[in-house]
Amino acid sequence: MLNRMISRITLAAGLSMLGCFGRAAEPLKIGIVAPLTGPAAESGRYQTQGAKLAADEVNKAGGVLGRPIELVIEDDQTTNPGIVLAFSKLAGDKDIPAFIGSVRSTQVHAMAPDIQRLGKPVMIGGTDPQLTHMGNPWLFRFRPNDTYSARVIADYGVKTLGKKKWVIVHSTDAFGANGMKNLVEALKGMGVEPVLVQGYTNNSQDFTPVVLAVKQSGADVIGSYMTFETDVGIFAKQLLQLGVKNAWVGSPSIVTTTALKLAGSALSGSYAVTDFNRDSSPTAKEFAAKYEAAYKSTPDLFSAWPYDAVHVLALAINNANSLDPQKIRESLLSVKDYSGAEGLYNFDKNGDGLHGYNIVKNDNGKIVFITHVDFND
Amino acid sequence: MRMGIALQLLFTGLGVGSIYALVALGFVLIYRATNVVNFAQGDFAMLGAFSMVVLCIGLQLPYWLAILITLAAMLVFGVLFNFAVYYPLRNRGFQPVIISTIGASILLENGVLAAYGPQPQTLPALLPFQGLSIGPVFLDSQYLLILAVTVVMVTLQYLFFEHTLLGKKMQATSQDKEMASLLGIPVARMTMLTFVYSSALGGLAGILVAPILFVSVGMGSSIALKAFAASIVGGFGNATGAIVGGLALGVVETFGAAYISVPYKDAFAFILLILFLLFRPQGLFGEKVAEKA
Repeated sequence: MLNRMISRITLAAGLSMLGCFGRAAEPLKIGIVAPLTGPAAESGRYQTQGAKLAADEVNKAGGVLGRPIELVIEDDQTTNPGIVLAFSKLAGDKDIPAFIGSVRSTQVHAMAPDIQRLGKPVMIGGTDPQLTHMGNPWLFRFRPNDTYSARVIADYGVKTLGKKKWVIVHSTDAFGANGMKNLVEALKGMGVEPVLVQGYTNNSQDFTPVVLAVKQSGADVIGSYMTFETDVGIFAKQLLQLGVKNAWVGSPSIVTTTALKLAGSALSGSYAVTDFNRDSSPTAKEFAAKYEAAYKSTPDLFSAWPYDAVHVLALAINNANSLDPQKIRESLLSVKDYSGAEGLYNFDKNGDGLHGYNIVKNDNGKIVFITHVDFND
Repeated sequence: MRMGIALQLLFTGLGVGSIYALVALGFVLIYRATNVVNFAQGDFAMLGAFSMVVLCIGLQLPYWLAILITLAAMLVFGVLFNFAVYYPLRNRGFQPVIISTIGASILLENGVLAAYGPQPQTLPALLPFQGLSIGPVFLDSQYLLILAVTVVMVTLQYLFFEHTLLGKKMQATSQDKEMASLLGIPVARMTMLTFVYSSALGGLAGILVAPILFVSVGMGSSIALKAFAASIVGGFGNATGAIVGGLALGVVETFGAAYISVPYKDAFAFILLILFLLFRPQGLFGEKVAEKA
C-alpha cells in the first residue's frame, strides 16, 4: 500500500490547569504503532481508542511528571515492512520515551531488532511467548502469553469438557503456528495427542478442505488459533453447513465483537479463552462502561490492553520520576498487583504482566463469563 | 464417503472459481478494448458490495431494489471511471493507464475505508434458504446462485458480442481501433461502454460474493489477484478463457488444499499459472500470435 495515514492527537486536558505557572507544561509524547489501514485496520481503531481513553484519564489526573500525554500515532498498515517503517519514524523522535506496540506477534517480531537497538520500552499485546523470552529487555506484555492460553484451552477442554480427541486448526502465521505448538505441548502434558493438526493461510476464501478434514478425523473437540475474524466467520459457517458439531475451544479471536457479528449463530456454543471480559473484575466492568460511553461501541481485548498499557506506563514513569529508559524499565518490572481491565498485573523478570485467562462461552451470541484460570509459573 | 468428499470439493471449487471467473471477465473485456489491465477491477466488486450494505442494511431497502440501484450506480461509475482514469491518458501508451488504474484502486479502497471504517460488514444471502443437502454433499445456496448467474452472464455476453450490431462494433474496436474508426465506429464511445459494462459486471460479482466473503475494503483485491491469474490461464483477452480459467483455478486450489496441503492452497493456483506461463503462455484459448501487425 502506498498510502500512509498519519494522525496526531493532542490531549491537552491538563494544559489550562498549569497555565498559572506562566507557561504550559510541554506534552509528553508517547509513540503508538497501530494498523490504521490493511486487514487489521479495525483492531487498530480499537487500539487507538483504548489508548486515548487512558491518556485522557491520566491527563485529567495530572498527567505524567506534571506533563499531559500526547499520543503520536503511526500507521503500520498491518504489514511487517509497514510496522518497521512506522516504528523507525517514531524512534527518530528523541522526545518519545516509550511506545505502545502491536497486538500482532508477527509484527512485534519484525520491529524487535530495532527496539533492541533503540533501547526504549515498548508495551506490546502480541501473545507469542517467544517475544519476552528472546533476550530483548525492552518488550513489556499487557496480555497473557500463549503458553497460558494454550494451557487454559487444554485444561478446560480435557478436564472440564472431558474431550480427548483433539483437532487443532491454526493460521500459519507466527501467532497461529506458535499457538499450535503450545497447544500440542499443553495437551501432551495431559497425555493427549491431537488426532489432526491443520494449518491454513490467512484470508482464505473457503474452508471446505479444512472442514472436511476435521469431519474425517473423528475428533470430538476443535482447538483453534485463528488470526483474522473474516476467516473465523467463513470457517464457522462452513462447519455448520457441512454438519460438524464438535465442541470448540478457541483462542480469543472467536469471541471478538467482529467475529460474533460475522459468524452470527454459527459460533454459538463455542468456548474461548479471552484475556478481556467485562464480568471478570470490577476494573474491567468500569473500563467497559467508560469505553462504551466514549465510543458507542463494545470494548474488547483490542481496546483493553492499550488502555492498561498507557495507565501502567504512566504509573511507572511517575514512580521512576524520570524519563531515563533504564529507570522506566525497572519501574515497569516492579509493578505489582495493579488491577487493570485485562487482569491483575504482576510483571515477571521477562516482562510478562499477566499470567492467566478467562474462559467464556458463546451462548446464542451472548458472551458469558465462565471462570478465570491463573497460573503461578 | 470418499466420493461425497470429492463431489463436495468439486462444488466448492466451481463456486469459488465462478467468483474468479466473473471478475476475470471484467479484466478481459477492458483489456480487449484498451490493451490495459485494469487493476481496479477487484475494487469494482468491493464497491458493489458496499453499496449493497448501505442500501440494504443502512437504508433498509428491499434486496431486489438494492441490487437494481447498485447496478445502476455501477453503470454510472463506469462512465466516471472511463473519463477520470482512462480517457485523459488514452493516447499515452499502456503504462500510464495501468499506473492510473492502480492509483484508482488505492483511492477507492482508502476512500471507502475513510467513509465506512475498517469494520467488515455482513450482507444476508439473497435466497431465503441456506442450501441443499444431497447425501453427504452440501450445496450452499449462494454458490448455486453464483454458478447460475455466471452461466447466464456468459450466455448473454456471447449473444451480445456475436449477434448484435453494438456488440460487433465493440469487438471491432477492441481488435483494431484505427480500422474501426475508419469504418465510422465511434471508438471513444465504444471504450466507454466497455468500462460501463465491466463496472456493472464487477459490481454484480461483489453483490454475489458479499454474503460469503463478507464485505471489507480489501475483499476486491484478494479476489482480483486470483482472477488475474485465471484470465492468464484462460488466455488473456479471451472471454471463454476467463470463465474456464477461473473455474479451473477454483477447482485446482480446492482439490490441492484437500488432498495435498491446506497451507499451500494459494500456491496451487499460482503453480498452475506458472506452468501455463512456461508451457502455454497464450493460455487455454489464446491465439498464438496475439498482436496483429
